[in-house]
Amino acid sequence: MNKPSTQQAILVYTLLGIALIVFMTPIYLIVSSSVKPSPIMFQRPPAMIFEPTLDHYRDLFAMRPFGKFIANSLIVALGSTVFSVFFGSIAAYAISRIKHKRMNDVAFWILSMRMFPPIAVVVPYYIIFKTVGLLDTPIALIIVYSTANIPLTVWLMKGFFDEVPTALEEAAAVDGHGLISIFWKVTLPLAAPGLAVSAVFCFIFSWNEFLFALMLTGSNAQTAPVAVMSFWSSDAVQWGRIMAGSFVILIPGVVFVLTCQRWLVRGLTMGSVK
Amino acid sequence: MSAITLRNVIKRYGAVEVVHGIDLDVEEGEFVVLLGPSGCGKTTTLRMVAGLEDVSDGDLSIGGARVNEVAPKDRGVAMVFQNYALYPHMTVRQNMEFSLKPLSLPADEVARRVDEVASTLGLAELLSRRPAQLSGGQRQRVAMGRAMVRTPDVFLFDEPLSNLDAKLRTQVRLEIAKLHNRLGTTVLYVTHDQVEAMTLADKIVIMRDGHIEQVGTPEQVYSQPNNTFVATFIGSPPMNMIPARVRQGRLEADGLLLSVPDRFKGVLAEDQAVTIGIRPNGLSLAKDVDHNTAPARVEVTEYLGNEALLDLRAGPHELIAEVPALGRPAPGAEVTVHFDPDALHLFDTASGDSLSL
Repeated sequence: MNKPSTQQAILVYTLLGIALIVFMTPIYLIVSSSVKPSPIMFQRPPAMIFEPTLDHYRDLFAMRPFGKFIANSLIVALGSTVFSVFFGSIAAYAISRIKHKRMNDVAFWILSMRMFPPIAVVVPYYIIFKTVGLLDTPIALIIVYSTANIPLTVWLMKGFFDEVPTALEEAAAVDGHGLISIFWKVTLPLAAPGLAVSAVFCFIFSWNEFLFALMLTGSNAQTAPVAVMSFWSSDAVQWGRIMAGSFVILIPGVVFVLTCQRWLVRGLTMGSVK
Repeated sequence: MSAITLRNVIKRYGAVEVVHGIDLDVEEGEFVVLLGPSGCGKTTTLRMVAGLEDVSDGDLSIGGARVNEVAPKDRGVAMVFQNYALYPHMTVRQNMEFSLKPLSLPADEVARRVDEVASTLGLAELLSRRPAQLSGGQRQRVAMGRAMVRTPDVFLFDEPLSNLDAKLRTQVRLEIAKLHNRLGTTVLYVTHDQVEAMTLADKIVIMRDGHIEQVGTPEQVYSQPNNTFVATFIGSPPMNMIPARVRQGRLEADGLLLSVPDRFKGVLAEDQAVTIGIRPNGLSLAKDVDHNTAPARVEVTEYLGNEALLDLRAGPHELIAEVPALGRPAPGAEVTVHFDPDALHLFDTASGDSLSL
């Protein structure tokens, strides 16, 4: 590739700058509003220079068990992620390797789980979980989120498994390894980028989900996004606390993505065959 | 006891049969090469022995035990794949160790075996590298090393040299030959390259369209081909084939008249359609005309150094002759070709089978 000219560089950096502003402005507003004293919250033009305060964060954890809600969110999101990636990978491996003329239909059937509008099943889920006594428990949310996450994982992982040469598995089979050992030590490590991508998608979906969390949980299993919205009442909207809560909610997602990032590399199978 | 035995082994994919009832015995310590054009079923046969393909019908035994339903891991074989199939996420050492894991050996024994094989194959310096950091030849040696550390009963090679350049191929071929001499392990080796087959094999199995055409030593398949397929497949350039008829004790072929060598006299019938086969080195240039010669014109000469190949036209027949390069005729020259009666092969034209006894 040629070295970009100065004009190209200017253009690229200008576009990058605009994108950065578009994406970072909401974050800036969240952070700045979360540390802005309430009296100047709605001042116009917005106060750019003020003495920051941590009152909203103190209130957030003092007035509600926000730590518990965060913990709920983590349990639900990690639980659903682990569950979905584990079962989704196994299913994807089967779909990728078993040669059968109806296998595509199975794959499509799994994908079709994601086609219904979530709102349509809220009430049935509510009745089911109420009947079996799982209402307002993290398990209910883990199940619900996994029904959305597993199809996604299956389709993502199938693509990654398809790219792992079967010759490697045959080599391992002749070398004396059984199916589980081959899957665990040869195939899965080579599909690690797929695992990372799947985990990130599952985690973010489960972490951010609002509708089911609102309908299926009460005080016990409430997740952080729902808890934040409870600062929005008919009497008043407590913007400071909402923003403080939003910022706290942002952190685990970012940490999780950064953790997975080192696995998001391509070309793992290079040099294996030929 | 044979190391590998195939009895009427059949392979079908759905309704399509690709291997039609093969019988084969591979003796203990023997180097057997499956040779044939692509699509002849040789790799499928090898993969059945490895357990990577199911045997549709017939019996497959390794070391005397029937293994049709035995998983690959329990067959005591090691395989070198055409594309090497190295685990890209493991170093060379880990690649070799991985094939020892199922044996549950003590760690120092594992290390000892890996080091020993690595030094044999000249891989000692490369043990901490990954496959992506190796050249084609080095990867090939790692693939062999991975098979060797297990000290299997049977080595299976699936066209192991086809991804190497010509020079490296010769070199690795020699290494494989030396290795077999030293280890004495039974080898089943698939290739479409007749030079590999001729140089390595104790026994060559020539296959076509899912059938075995001939089993024999390299000398046998070269000098006593069973049929026209084997005759033209082995040898480079291939054997000249001339359609002819038996007339009054002589072979008549469109302007070409040759006497029948004595050894064929009993088996030929008058007016029988036969195919005369003669290798390029069975033809020579003669000064005098006799009952084993024919007039021909030189169309092209190919200089090979010590020898030259002459593309000849004798009436309607195109022949290739291998003659000393020194004093070779120029293109366009009219010459007399001598057919060495001892080098003559005769095949029944209808069946293609050899008429030699």
